[in-house]
Amino acid sequence: MKITSGDTYSAATLPSGDNVNAYAFCVDLQGEWFVKKGAMIAHYGTVTFEAVTAYTSTRAFMASRFSSPIYVQDWVVASGNGKVLLADRGFDVNSYDLDDGNLTIRAHNLLGFAPTLDLKQSIVPGFVSLFGTGTFLASSNGPVIFVEPPFRADPEALLGWADCPSPAIHYDTEWMAASLGGMLRGALGRESGEERQYAFVGAGTILLQSSEIVREDPALLRIIEQQTHSLSTGQVGALGQRLVARAQQAQQ
Amino acid sequence: MPFETVNSKVVRAQVTPQRAVLARRGAMLGLTGEVVFRPVQGQGAGVGGRIGAALASESNAMMATTGSGSVLYGFRGLHVTVLDLDGREQLFVEADRLLAHDADLQTSVMFLGSGGLRGAVRGAATGQGLFTTQLSGVGAVALLSHGGAFPLQVSRGESVGVDPQAYVGHTGQLDVDLKAKVGWRDAVGKGSGEAFQLQVTGSGTVYVQASEKKF
Amino acid sequence: MASLTADGRILNVDLHGDVVRAAQGSMVAYTGNVDFKGAGMGGGDGFRAALKRKAAGESLQLMECSGSGRAYLAVDAQYVSVVDLANDTLSVESESVLAVTPGLKLDVKFAGLGGAMAGQGVATTTVTGTGQVALLSDGPMIRLEVVPGQPLVVDPQAFVASSGQLSTSIVSGVSWRSVVGEGSGEAFSMKFDGSGLVCIQPAER
Repeated sequence: MKITSGDTYSAATLPSGDNVNAYAFCVDLQGEWFVKKGAMIAHYGTVTFEAVTAYTSTRAFMASRFSSPIYVQDWVVASGNGKVLLADRGFDVNSYDLDDGNLTIRAHNLLGFAPTLDLKQSIVPGFVSLFGTGTFLASSNGPVIFVEPPFRADPEALLGWADCPSPAIHYDTEWMAASLGGMLRGALGRESGEERQYAFVGAGTILLQSSEIVREDPALLRIIEQQTHSLSTGQVGALGQRLVARAQQAQQ
Repeated sequence: MPFETVNSKVVRAQVTPQRAVLARRGAMLGLTGEVVFRPVQGQGAGVGGRIGAALASESNAMMATTGSGSVLYGFRGLHVTVLDLDGREQLFVEADRLLAHDADLQTSVMFLGSGGLRGAVRGAATGQGLFTTQLSGVGAVALLSHGGAFPLQVSRGESVGVDPQAYVGHTGQLDVDLKAKVGWRDAVGKGSGEAFQLQVTGSGTVYVQASEKKF
Repeated sequence: MASLTADGRILNVDLHGDVVRAAQGSMVAYTGNVDFKGAGMGGGDGFRAALKRKAAGESLQLMECSGSGRAYLAVDAQYVSVVDLANDTLSVESESVLAVTPGLKLDVKFAGLGGAMAGQGVATTTVTGTGQVALLSDGPMIRLEVVPGQPLVVDPQAFVASSGQLSTSIVSGVSWRSVVGEGSGEAFSMKFDGSGLVCIQPAER
């Protein structure tokens, strides 16, 4: 039997801590690694996967790496010895090395990281920040594009940033005026990248990707629900009505 | 000035006061410099009357990028193919596959289907038929496709059948006709309603995408 | 003789007066005199086959491409790989079968792997004989060897195909001692022991 193109790998020949192809990465696990639920596609050797939440009592320091209750449910600890292959939706996968550094990345795109790194929820919804020294893996829709500030990014195209301050939101007021004046469709819908961008200044690097197809992110729902706690009862009702109207309009 | 290919899904355009870019709304991924975006309505005459133009606009919401700076364009992770028009041939592109193009190019919208304007109205509602943007002049065009687009040369005397969902565009002296074909539904998918194929004859190049699902 | 050639995300099917079975709906373009018509499930004939068809649902709907010319096939921008079989057997996740040349026999098994598989039909197509099979994968396929003493554990949603002297078992993937929250994870995995080859894709279905 013959398969045209590509190589065949074995436990011995799989790369250690390197890409197998642009869309899959092989970790040579000797100990523990945090891995996103669903990211493991195959492994050799003896590896177990346990929910991070299961570690809260027995290995408290592991769970403390996640100072965010929003994201902890999406992660497992892979422990043991063996070659572990990680991938995400056929997206490009890359490894990044932090050396006493920091990088904020879209939570949905973080696939795994060494337990020497700390993970915190970012102020920008949907993003998490990693601190310390160690390796982490992130996926992107197409190869990652690196740019430097000053730069304005479409929120859907933003993958992450390192070293520079968190972005501010820039509204293009003239675009909005032109849209309403022209009664264009979509005025009630989701804001497009032209109306609102994340603006970066300072010294650092910004990571971009072609905007992702919006996929349901349960963590984002949790974040937004958390933010509604500060609303009054009347406001909660009004918000509910607007959301229902929007869902009905989107279905047409 | 051509678009610079950053990767298979993203292009970069240098916008200057002499060179504006027209792009699909939602296609801007990021920018540096002093660049301004303004929505534009439709793409010139072509489909009969205001109703036709309004229908064409539905599938073709564009914006103008002017000023001085560098803009990255992409859309939903779709593959981007860049074509440079040298003024000799016209390019026909399915209207909502147009990512961006030099503002200097002349454009008009045609409806590939059957039954004139009534057909266009019915087609827009049922998805039978295609709005295509016709581009001419000298300049660069960036197209979207699911999985990337490949060219198929068509010569006189030959006929190429194309799944309308996989049709990206064409150049040259080609006739592209929408035809109903018995048994086609097995070939192109489980959709409801009649099954249509595009029959391409003449001399030119038709661009087909590597996926049977439009986007 | 019909031949299949993979070209990135496109499969070129060159027909010379014979018939190639392919995933229904996968044609994007064709040249020459090619006809397409529905061909059922590829699960053989008879009552047993009809039952298999019902059980395996829609995971393998085939059409027949016949005539002389070239058909260009694609599915959802997935990558295409071609496997040459010489009196071999290949087990393929049914959704990942794109096309087979004449002379290859197809059999569809619907494996309900105990209660753990509720709602997740694992329909496997077994391809036997001599000829060519075109496979689909979300991202370029990765081929992994299995040798005695070094079993391989695979996420079923990444599994594409396997061949050789392999025995498959189910292992539980993650211990959900505190199961709170949405999202699916590796509820279970497939473990391959023995000697053979497993093909996976860098994505979950």
